[in-house]
Formats: sequence, C-alpha cells, structure tokens
Amino acid sequence: MSLLTKVGASLFEVIDPELGVNIMDLGLVYGIEIDDEDNIKITMTLTTPGCPMHDSIKNGVQYQVSQVEGVGEIDVNIIWEPAWTPAKMSEKAKEMLGFS
Amino acid sequence: MMPGANMKIDTDIRLPLSFILYGLLALVISQVILFVSNDALLTGHFRIPDIWMGAHFLLLGYAVMVAMGAMYQLVPVAFLTPIWSQKFGFVQLGITVIGVTAFAILLGVNPDKAIFGGIIAIAGILMFIFQMVMSIWNQEKKTMMTYFVIGAIACFFLTIIAGFLLAWNISVGGIGNHNTILSTHILLGVAGWFTLLIFGFSYKLVPMFSLSHGFSMKWAKPALLTYVIGLIVLISSFWSSREIGQTIGWGLLFFGFGFFCLDIKDILSKRVKKKLDKSFSFALLAIINGLTIHALALIFRLVGMNDSIVWSWLIFLYIMGWIIFSILGYLNKIVPVLWWTYKYSEKIGKEKVPLLKDLINEKANIVLFSLFIISVVGLTLGALAQYGLVVVLFQGILTIASLLYTISIIRILFL
Repeated sequence: MSLLTKVGASLFEVIDPELGVNIMDLGLVYGIEIDDEDNIKITMTLTTPGCPMHDSIKNGVQYQVSQVEGVGEIDVNIIWEPAWTPAKMSEKAKEMLGFS
Repeated sequence: MMPGANMKIDTDIRLPLSFILYGLLALVISQVILFVSNDALLTGHFRIPDIWMGAHFLLLGYAVMVAMGAMYQLVPVAFLTPIWSQKFGFVQLGITVIGVTAFAILLGVNPDKAIFGGIIAIAGILMFIFQMVMSIWNQEKKTMMTYFVIGAIACFFLTIIAGFLLAWNISVGGIGNHNTILSTHILLGVAGWFTLLIFGFSYKLVPMFSLSHGFSMKWAKPALLTYVIGLIVLISSFWSSREIGQTIGWGLLFFGFGFFCLDIKDILSKRVKKKLDKSFSFALLAIINGLTIHALALIFRLVGMNDSIVWSWLIFLYIMGWIIFSILGYLNKIVPVLWWTYKYSEKIGKEKVPLLKDLINEKANIVLFSLFIISVVGLTLGALAQYGLVVVLFQGILTIASLLYTISIIRILFL
C-alpha cells in the first residue's frame, strides 16, 4: 500500500463530532501531497468558516496522519476557497445525513 | 484564503461558561421571585419593586449574562477574530456579576439605593462593550453579521444610559420624562440589543446547525436597515407623543423582522440536515413567535388597542416567547459544543470520543421545551382572563421548567 493510500485511509478515522461522519466521506479533504522526504501536506476545509470544531478536527487530522508509519513533517492547511458544498459528500455521507 | 483560516481562535472555556452558569442561576432566581409575586402578575402591575427585581434577574442576570458568555465564544468563531483580552474578560465577569446581583436585589429591597448596584453593573457592561468593540475592530473583513452585532452593541450602550437615568430618578430624582425614558429603555433593550444580536448570530448559527449551503442572505441588509429605522421612529414617537409614529414604527419593526424571516426560510430550505435537533427547533420556534408578536403589536396599533395590561403582556411575550426561547434553544446547543471542545478536542482521532449528540438528551428536551411553551401560554391566558389560580399554576410550571433546564445544562458538564 502506498504512503498516499495509507494517509488517506487514516483520515477516515477522523469523525466530525457534530455530524458523526468522517471527514473523507464528508468531502472535506481537498488534497494530500507528499514530497520527496515523505512530508505530508493536507489541504482541507470545514463545513462552515469559523466552525467551532476548527482546532479539534485539525488536531485529529494531525494525530491520525502522524500514526502512519514513515511520514515526515505534517502540515494541515485549512482553506475556505473553494467552499465546501453538500455535492462534495459521498453517497454514504448523504445517506447518513438523510440528504439524498 | 480567507483571513483566519489557520488561526487559533479558541476562547478559554471557563470565561463563557462562567457567564452562562451565573445566567442559569439568575434564571431560576428570577422565576422564583415571579412565582412569589404572582398576585402582581395577575393584576398586570409590573412596576413594583418585586417585579423589577425578577425582571432584572431575568433580563440582566440571565439573558444579558448568557448573551455575554455566548459572545465570548461566538465572536471568535463567527468573526474569525480572537477576543481582545481574556484577562480583561475575567475582570469584567467579576464586576458584572457583583453589579447585576447588587442592582437586582436593591431594586427589590431598597430601590432608593439601587443606583449603587447600577453603577457597578454599568461599569461591567461598559467593559464588555469595550472588549467587544476592540475584538470586532480587529476583524479583517466585516460582514452583515458584524453590522447586526455593532447595531446591537450600540443599542445596548443606549439601554444602559437610559437605565442609569431611571435608577438615578428612583434614587435621587430630578430627571423629567421618566415614563418616556422607561419606554425607550425597554425598547432599546429588548428590541434593539437582544433582537439585533439574535438576528446577527442566527445568520451564523442557523446555517451551522442545519448544515445549509448556497443561501443568499439577500434580505439581511433590508432587515437591519428597516429594523433600526423602526426603532428610531418608535423612540421618536415616544418623545414627540405622536401616535402615528408608533404605528409606523411598529410597522417597520414588523417588516424588518419579516425580511429576516425570509432569509431564515431560505437558509432552512437549503439545509443538508433534514432532521433538526430539538433545541435548535425550539430556537426556530422562537423566530415564529417573534414574527407573530411583531404582527400583533402592529395590529394592536392599527386598531387603537391602548390597554396597558395587554401591552404589558405583549412585552412579556416578546421577552419570553422570542428572546428567552431563542436563548434557551441556542444555549442548549452551545454548551455541549463548549464542553465537548474542552473535554474531547485533544482526543479526536486518537481514541473513540462521543459525538455532540451523545451529550444531549433529546427526550428530556422535548419535555422541557414543552413545559416552557405550555407555561408561557397558560400564564399569559390566565393573567389576561384574570384567573389567579391559573397564573400561580403556570408560573409554578415555568419555575420548575427553569430549574430542570438549569439541571439539564449542568448535567452536560458531568458527561
């Protein structure tokens, strides 16, 4: 399994506490970049700017990725553009939230 | 990237929570006082020391203190700007608690000396206004929410100036137009400060709790302008004694509120969460109540209804059905978020942590909020129909509901 796949898989363990759905299925993660030294850069958003869970979710991502063997430095970059929309959710997430 | 995207914006939880816990204690005290004073409620005589004490524990002790605590938590997350000084916030908390408690008690037991408690309370409130102005000042990109909150803070400032004049008159005397100042004080406090504040934060909280996206907020500006102009027209009519001004003023307030409702309707129609929490639904019910009460006020003006007892109960419904219900609903969502963040924020992703909904007892909330609705409706009808026993019964239920609500919030802190 590649490092990229492992990092992606680890993020399924970070659950949005308000919605009860993991951040991957919610479509909050926009990109995972890995450089030559296996440093990881996660570009992600939240369902709303100024989400009260901002730091909690960011810390959760940081921790989960740090548990993946072989990763270097971790940078979690939260952005608001492009803004998250419900269209970014997986079918599973839509079903869980009764939105389908 | 929007400003603040990667900025740490957490407020020390002890600050908002201390305000909220004091507020809940004041809520119970206010309801006990009003229960004991049920004979005055029955006759519609609200301007007596016991009712002043109960009303100020309710509005200053509960509603204002909870609003302050909520703002310490919400301003950083809604405006993406940190609180200017949290140390200053703790000092402000201490002074305001002493001032509000002393002021409310003195209004009931020794109104002539209430001015002394009032001065301390005013000092605490002025510190709060200064804190918020300094915090919001640093917001890089102002939004409509900012302008609602600035409007609310401006009304709050004028409310306490008017309140100070009233307390001075009771203690020392010498200032004319006491009744006009009182009307201005009530309008600026309940309609200016609280309503504009709830409008502003609803534009953040309603989309957040319903997970709504793609809404326009196109009515926000007309809502703010119409409501503020309505306040100015209504206050002007108090001072000029022009009846037509009151009708126009209430008309503008109704339309301002209506514009806000159009935006809320749009936000809810675009929500992702189809099943809404009971607490949040209760806050939404408060919006319907608010619109209905504004409509009633306008109708009463149009048909020339001038019965002071009816208007007193309309103000009671405005305070309970709109402001207090809004705060009760939102608070029941905000406290779990605060407590969850404090207790589990560092554990997310590391171990299994409860979801926010696990901290909330939805079944108990149904009972609690039903009790609030039943008691406020029963109390109003009983008082208007002059049934003493009904007033005692429903004020008793309201007191019990307030106590149970407080216990339900405190219970969260032990989860």
